[in-house]
Amino acid sequence: MGDSTKKWFSLNLGNSNTKPSGSCGCGNPSGGCGSHNSENADVNAIGEERHKDGFEQVFDVKMDRRSAFKKLTASLMVGAGAVTTSCSVIVGEETKEKAQIDWEEQFKGNYKLMSDEEKNGTVDRLVRSYQLRTGKTISLSSKNAEEDVLFGYAFNISKCQGYMDCVTACVEENNQDRSSQMEYIRIHEMKDGKGFNFNEADDNYYHEVPAEGHFYMGTQCFHCDNPPCVEVCPVQATWREDDGLVVVDYDWCVGCRYCMAACPYDGRRFNWSTPEVPEEEVNKNQHYLGNRMRKKGVVEKCTFCVQRSRAGKNPACVEACPTGARIFGNLLDPDSTIRWVLENKKVFRLKEDLGTEPKFWYFMD
Amino acid sequence: MRRLKVFGSLVKDSLDVITHGSKKYHIWMAFLTFVMLVGMYCYSVQLEHGLSVTGMTDRVSWGLYISNFTFLVGVAAAAVMLVMPTYVLKDIDFKQAVLIGEGIAVAALIMCLAFVIADMGGPSVLWHMIPGIGVFNFPNSMLTWDVLVLNGYLFLNISIPFYILFKHYQGKKSNSKVYIPGALLSVFWAVGIHLVTAFLYQGLQARPFWNNALLGPRFLASAFAAGPALIILVLAIIRTFTVFKIKNKTLKKIAMVVTVAAQINLIMLASELFKEFYAPTHHSESAYYLFFGLDGKTALLPWIWTSISLNVLATVTLTFHKLRNNSKVLYFACFILFVAIWIEKGFGLIVPGFIPGPYGKIVEYTPTGIEIGVTLGIWALGAFVFTMLAKTAIKIETGALRYRKKES
Amino acid sequence: MKDKYHILYTLSGLFLVASFFSSCKHQEHEYHSITDKIEAESKNYQGTSISSEDFIGDIKTLEISEGAHTFLIPERKSQIKSYACTECHSKSLAQMQNGNEAKKAHWDLRLNHADANTMNCVTCHDGSSMDNLTSLTGNTLGFNHSYQLCAQCHTSQFDDWKGGAHGKKIASWAPPRASMTCVNCHNPHNPGFKSRWPARFNTQTEKERR
Repeated sequence: MGDSTKKWFSLNLGNSNTKPSGSCGCGNPSGGCGSHNSENADVNAIGEERHKDGFEQVFDVKMDRRSAFKKLTASLMVGAGAVTTSCSVIVGEETKEKAQIDWEEQFKGNYKLMSDEEKNGTVDRLVRSYQLRTGKTISLSSKNAEEDVLFGYAFNISKCQGYMDCVTACVEENNQDRSSQMEYIRIHEMKDGKGFNFNEADDNYYHEVPAEGHFYMGTQCFHCDNPPCVEVCPVQATWREDDGLVVVDYDWCVGCRYCMAACPYDGRRFNWSTPEVPEEEVNKNQHYLGNRMRKKGVVEKCTFCVQRSRAGKNPACVEACPTGARIFGNLLDPDSTIRWVLENKKVFRLKEDLGTEPKFWYFMD
Repeated sequence: MRRLKVFGSLVKDSLDVITHGSKKYHIWMAFLTFVMLVGMYCYSVQLEHGLSVTGMTDRVSWGLYISNFTFLVGVAAAAVMLVMPTYVLKDIDFKQAVLIGEGIAVAALIMCLAFVIADMGGPSVLWHMIPGIGVFNFPNSMLTWDVLVLNGYLFLNISIPFYILFKHYQGKKSNSKVYIPGALLSVFWAVGIHLVTAFLYQGLQARPFWNNALLGPRFLASAFAAGPALIILVLAIIRTFTVFKIKNKTLKKIAMVVTVAAQINLIMLASELFKEFYAPTHHSESAYYLFFGLDGKTALLPWIWTSISLNVLATVTLTFHKLRNNSKVLYFACFILFVAIWIEKGFGLIVPGFIPGPYGKIVEYTPTGIEIGVTLGIWALGAFVFTMLAKTAIKIETGALRYRKKES
Repeated sequence: MKDKYHILYTLSGLFLVASFFSSCKHQEHEYHSITDKIEAESKNYQGTSISSEDFIGDIKTLEISEGAHTFLIPERKSQIKSYACTECHSKSLAQMQNGNEAKKAHWDLRLNHADANTMNCVTCHDGSSMDNLTSLTGNTLGFNHSYQLCAQCHTSQFDDWKGGAHGKKIASWAPPRASMTCVNCHNPHNPGFKSRWPARFNTQTEKERR
């Protein structure tokens, strides 16, 4: 992979000049073409097309690309819509910009293989797009994995009381679809004396908790070190980051759901319809790989709240847990509390025999 | 240059052939077109609202589409059972049937690809899967293997018959040196497509129902029963409605293939049932769900028991020479065998793989009307494609369609 | 015959190429298990640029050292509503109980912590110096170090807490470690967690499973 500079299909078919940020035909990594003229002043010398106004650029872009993508009919249908809008003379500057962003987003590459500039480019576009659509500004991060960090999680079965505060915090933090009541976390109510018998456990109880004679066990994505879901993805839309987080590029996912079949832990969720989050409830502190708004037909999952954990905060579930049953930390830091738990408590993981190496341990007092 | 001209003429002639025909032919094609339109409407609804219009859920995340895909890969692979004797072992009895078999393979592969696309959450970004343009996770993902082998097999099954027909169209003999390597390759390839498709499921440690070594061989056995069974039925129909001559001997030989494959399939089924129920473990729960129901959830029971009884009945019928040699009985046995394996490889294999879920939760799966509509539409598409291919091929093979130099 | 061999060679060549590809698959897994990986990669742990200090914010903390562990806990005195206690409790407890004009103070406090044989108010509160707490042996302890009081009986919990298996951290996983102290989660007069209804119920899941 590393030997070729072309990691995926480049969009600049018409322009031979390769700007480092150039995922966009008009050479503008962020936002629309018309609105960044000052930035472009110094690159004007490279190609004459820089002098054209936004409309002409969009129009040219269309001609170059249409010839290139003839075969990609399905994609073209979306793209053609964007082009028609952007070519119409009557429509306003904003509509054109929106269409331009849609076009670039449709044909951008896989986030995993992007350079940092390209990551910033798509993040800027997404922020601008959200602004154009809702008038609200979000903070969207593309922060990479930190050196010397490997995230791990421990869950104290003796402590969990089954309040499900973590589930609520998770749904709100991660902008999960409210209409299908998507939840990453499941809390299984187990009978004492039955061992870890998931078959007889109830993960959708509604009665006063903790119930007599029961204990509680939470499951979510375990961020396996050898994740079967990553192996099976035909387009590498999901992968394990250097800090151990297993993440999904929602824009690259084709929605085949092979990863859901491959996950032994029920860690993945699919957007069967367009996810709905009331505007006032949207968490605007977002990460590209985390809680940004999803579309229909893509897979999503717990990311240990990448928008929080990469910044240094605890995931929302850890913060919300009133009992301290959830421990989160850096596995590579010998002084971290998670390391102390692994070294001093009797820990185990679910389905260890599958060789998936989850980074999510259970322990008891 | 001349070849291009002949090709152009072939396209024009075949268009002529497929647009003209008897009243029955037109009714048949109109019916298929109607079903396809209904399917397209259903698919447009699915595109609009997402896959939530299907019966699939996070628990059972693959359903009717992938079931049909799996089954049809088997049908496509079965063409090899005709290709090998004809091209490689030079058994001339199969010669008449082989083009029809390859036509079925092409139609089945097109349906396979259509089912996969129908199952995708984001068909507009499917280009992510095209090597070079997108990112192709080869060799890690079995799905990429499947994409490769299916398209390769489609290419083989289009190019070999096309070469032969193209020669015959010009009134020439086809050169066996040209197509024999392709035919030989397609023999291995056919086994490959079905094994790879089986590995798609077999390689998932998360689903114990699929994660067994017998899955691949059983796929092959059932495919070599269901596929040729379909070919027998199609040949019977063609024999009645066209001038294309198919000897009884050919049908009998194909019936033999069906019989042996069905017998092996039953033996493997017995082996599987023994393993699941003699010493049932936690991993046998899917099988329990499939055959007996679990926690009062019994949606698949009528299906699987229908399938098993049809399967046994068909195999027993086919095993007796007297019954098999009676063409009416043969057609009936082939039909019920086809249905039995469709249920077994479809509902009986894909759905119970997901039930119970990783944490023992049972969510049952029932396809919705939209899903069934799309499925029927794709089947109609397959029948449509096959009818067109077969009609042209038969016209050429019977000598009714020949290249005429327009200049002379 | 020769043709057949040729084809066989080609096919076996193809298989070789295929197996070569597939053997690459597991190259990235250099470690036998995740624990091996953690051990190996943390050997030259350099520390991260991320610090918990940004997230502790306005919470006043103090550093404590217990055994091998040194970490921050929230300062307590400023969080107590009517500290210092001596603002009201100007006399010692013994004197106050003797007086006839004894006021009913802290009437809402009911001790629900161990049984009456084991604990009463003065097990922890210093009757003669109300601004402080007292250990079982009569040593004076400040409110900021109340965890030492708990540790007298709850030794295993104390060990877990020191290591980080019991209790919560404040806001961040990153060093320096800042952990909540006992009384941040447990009411010392009534330390158990209450039973209550779960925060939510998933009607959609219920529908699916019917």
